[in-house]
Amino acid sequence: MATKLGDWLNDRSGWRTIYGTVFLRKIPKINWAYTLGSATLFAMVIQIVTGILLTLYYVPDPQLAYASVTYITNELPFGWLIRGLHHWGASAMVLLVVLHMVRVIVYGAYKYPREFTWITGVALLLLTFAFGFTGYLLPWDQRAYWATVVGTKIGEVTPVFGDTIRALMLGGEEISGLTLSRFFGAHVWVLPSVLLLLVGIHLYLVIRNGITSVPKRGE
Amino acid sequence: MAEDTNRPSEVDEPAGAPEEVAQDDPRDQEVTRRKFLITSVGAMSGAMAAAVAVPAIFYVAGPVKEQGSSDEWIRLGSASSVETGSKTLMKATVERRAGYLTTTEELSVFVSTDNGTDFLALSNICTHLGCRVRWVEEQDGFFCPCHNAVFGPDGSVLEGPPPRPLDRFDTKVEDGQIFIRKL
Repeated sequence: MATKLGDWLNDRSGWRTIYGTVFLRKIPKINWAYTLGSATLFAMVIQIVTGILLTLYYVPDPQLAYASVTYITNELPFGWLIRGLHHWGASAMVLLVVLHMVRVIVYGAYKYPREFTWITGVALLLLTFAFGFTGYLLPWDQRAYWATVVGTKIGEVTPVFGDTIRALMLGGEEISGLTLSRFFGAHVWVLPSVLLLLVGIHLYLVIRNGITSVPKRGE
Repeated sequence: MAEDTNRPSEVDEPAGAPEEVAQDDPRDQEVTRRKFLITSVGAMSGAMAAAVAVPAIFYVAGPVKEQGSSDEWIRLGSASSVETGSKTLMKATVERRAGYLTTTEELSVFVSTDNGTDFLALSNICTHLGCRVRWVEEQDGFFCPCHNAVFGPDGSVLEGPPPRPLDRFDTKVEDGQIFIRKL
């Protein structure tokens, strides 16, 4: 039955070819370090799912943000789990994406013909940091507030445009409700849109170019 | 045809173990390393998805049964302020908690009594579209200004579009104070 349905769908979509191309591709003899990219992807999926669930209750309002986070954590069934996964998943994703990059550097996997994969990867690394930075403010507690003070002060030391950059980040001179809502908007709409686009390109390139084998001595 | 597309032969063989694949091909029932791995990965993925999906269902449904404050007694005021044979509008503020938000709501109730011991408490909210009804003593009825509905002194619908009588509250008197509760 399932095979018949699969055939029917395959005649109309060719999904088996796509499945084969994505999951049954030939790979060289490699080691566990090559799973770091997939691990990052997995962490990303966790972040997307738990992030969407968090927006069902979270409100980016200076009066209510902290109360809504407390409500999620302490009162909703499994709210602690969903928020906990998102909180720790964020750190895990930063860790994994950095390790993934280290593996690519160490094995020289950024070389021809994979330079563009590398470039999109660097953009994805920076995006991950941007996710971490914008997400950090959202609980709207003391740690969030002061981390954002520090982070935007770092932006301020940019030569020439420093003040403008900080004001653009904050949506004004000081941290306010405007900062919270623009960080929220960036965290849940702007960054994810760019992320999904780049992840799509990154994965397409990985499949198209195949993956590198472990370099031999002297290579 | 189906068999061919099911297992794309050009990508099927892992580079490391061609002799193993050659052995498997005639008998599909055999548990090969490949099948075992596919099944294990599938099962693990399913377990991980369930580990998030099942809590997520409870999480999403969390606030559904939270509204439990409506069965508490609400103090309206002194029972002696209710005139026998008339309708007295009494007010109380009720705290309503929805998640992380607590809002106060003003509750207006028409209270009447015939003997000073048994009280009737009727909501002043029209059951049609929620307008506030008012009591008109001379005509012995509640009138809704929105669609000309008329309710009798016991809350029953006399005229107009309301689908049901005015909502009643459970009442009790303690220490000379009237309390009401959602029925």
